[in-house]
Amino acid sequence: MSDEFVGRRGFLKALAAGVSATVGLRLVKRASASETGESSPHRWGMVIDQTKCIGCGYCTLACRATNDVPPDIAWNRVIDAGKYAGEPVYLPRPCMHCENAPCVEVCPVQATYHRPDGIVMMDYDRCIGCRYCEIACPYGARAFNWEEFTGPNPEVPNWGEPEVARRPRGVVEKCTFCYQRIDRGLELGLKPGTDPQATPACVVVCPTKARVFGDLNDPESGASQLLERYPAYRLREDLGTSPRVYYLPTRKEEVAG
Amino acid sequence: MRALGRKVQVSTYQAWVATLAGFMLLGALAGAVVFSRGLVVTNLTDLVPWGLWITIDLSAIAMSAGAFMLCAAVYLMDLKHYQPIARTATFIGLIGYSMAVLTLLLDIGRPDRFWHPLVFWNPHSVLWEVTMCVTLYLTVLALETAPIVGSASWVERRWPRLSARLTAIHHYAPYFAVAGLGLSLLHQSSLGAAYGVLKARPIWYRPDLSVLFIVSAMAGGPALTVLASMLTGRLSPRVIIKDELLDKVSSFIGWILVAYLYLRFWDVLSMTYTYQPGRTEGLRLLTQGPLSFNFWVGEIFLGIVVPMIILLRPGLRRLPVLRMIALGLIVGGVVAYRWDTNLAGQLIVLTYLPQEIVARYTRYFPSLIEIVAGAGVIAYGLLAFTLGARYLNVVDHQDVAEVKVLPHLEAAAAD
Repeated sequence: MSDEFVGRRGFLKALAAGVSATVGLRLVKRASASETGESSPHRWGMVIDQTKCIGCGYCTLACRATNDVPPDIAWNRVIDAGKYAGEPVYLPRPCMHCENAPCVEVCPVQATYHRPDGIVMMDYDRCIGCRYCEIACPYGARAFNWEEFTGPNPEVPNWGEPEVARRPRGVVEKCTFCYQRIDRGLELGLKPGTDPQATPACVVVCPTKARVFGDLNDPESGASQLLERYPAYRLREDLGTSPRVYYLPTRKEEVAG
Repeated sequence: MRALGRKVQVSTYQAWVATLAGFMLLGALAGAVVFSRGLVVTNLTDLVPWGLWITIDLSAIAMSAGAFMLCAAVYLMDLKHYQPIARTATFIGLIGYSMAVLTLLLDIGRPDRFWHPLVFWNPHSVLWEVTMCVTLYLTVLALETAPIVGSASWVERRWPRLSARLTAIHHYAPYFAVAGLGLSLLHQSSLGAAYGVLKARPIWYRPDLSVLFIVSAMAGGPALTVLASMLTGRLSPRVIIKDELLDKVSSFIGWILVAYLYLRFWDVLSMTYTYQPGRTEGLRLLTQGPLSFNFWVGEIFLGIVVPMIILLRPGLRRLPVLRMIALGLIVGGVVAYRWDTNLAGQLIVLTYLPQEIVARYTRYFPSLIEIVAGAGVIAYGLLAFTLGARYLNVVDHQDVAEVKVLPHLEAAAAD
């Protein structure tokens, strides 16, 4: 064998060893991660009652202030959904926090992922800004930071105080179900969905209580109770994304009354 | 040309290099604007987040497909006489993939985090798989190109030891060919699948995209390699090309076009049955709407039908100018296919209201910055090839080039 270079056999052996070592290490890491992976007793969800929504858009504004969202981005949009029984109907749209989230599946770096309690999170330090998740999301729930958000937030302090860090330029952002309020609330022994400090800002600000937040695993939670009592639907159920945001369609008798 | 009172002769070659360098400089300036001001300087939006740069990226990778095909032919199927063309294709591949990396750096919001996919794995993501394959294949291409650099006479003269080491890498060419074949089959198709797996975009959501992406790349890649070889042979008096080799590859490309046309026909025809929100509108965009000229003329008529006839008729194919036109048309057709595919899915925005799903239309046209930066990347590719043809003999069908490498091979085999 020439000493200029290792022979073909040696080269192949080294290559195979290198590849299997790398893959093996990753698999071990993965397995240990899933073994110690925390689980959560909670499964957060939201129910939005279209009979009660008056389209005021307070939810959008409170969300912008609380999460320091720039004026050209809305994590929470209120969409005009036509008329029913002569009355206008609205469709407020946060992130659906899908159980089978297309964004989580396609992200090349796992910058968007499921928390054990079901919230679809964004890791803004990991996102590379490829925008594949935006293209994959059927609900238009994701927004890219095309430029840096500088200066004061026009919705602060009228609609709330920022509770999370502002995102840098070049990453994708979206609704987080105000995870910071949930986490801090749980630490303080509060109940998300019941205690306002532990509940998403859009739910707290809603003047008609059209939004109800709660633990879908807890049959006593406000959200579970509503789903028990009324027929509900989810957006684009045909896609199989299984959203955790439910809508109660407009009830004619209540609109008329 | 007159400068400082003295007559200065500027050759066509110098003018060409200067022009490309000028475009590269402009592109670099545009890139600097993008990096300092952010992607707000583009015409991309949250509805159309992928535009011109993604098209250049996809096209550059498709045009590099000649490398894996010809290396497989030479080192795995033992068609040794195509070795000089494999050499050209490999060099074009290296340029193509580096162009793709450049456009991706422009396109991602955080170019400083370009390495994240290598560290933070999401094996479930098609885009992650593509990134890994592209990175690995870029390495393979660099190793495949090393002997080309090593065998250049000026490298041999100045750095004989380095030259010997680089040339020795050629010993592993068959393994690189296997790796290249595997990686290319994976990611060339996966680029189509990156669109094809998205349920939210009905015009994309079908397995055909993976097949169409690789088949069109298998036409476009070798087409560019043969075209570049022919052009170099005509423009440089020093370069000797064997036309019978290029002629055979061209007829093979003609047959690939038959397969591509067949698959594209069924692909489009299958979408015309029953109304499906989003898909039907997307098809309408493509066949009757703003993309229809691109589709019928760019992709189908000039991109497939005309070159297919020229390349399959020996009488027509043997006319060099006609053959070069056909090859150029194929390249244009494959680029048009990438552009149309990327936009057809994004220009349709589906509603998610509980009522009937409605398709709405949006628009996209690249901004000046996008165009200038994109042109800069293309100019880089052309300049790299020009310099490679001049200083590294990447187009050279003389047997001499091969003989230089052979003693090393024989010496190694004798060990």
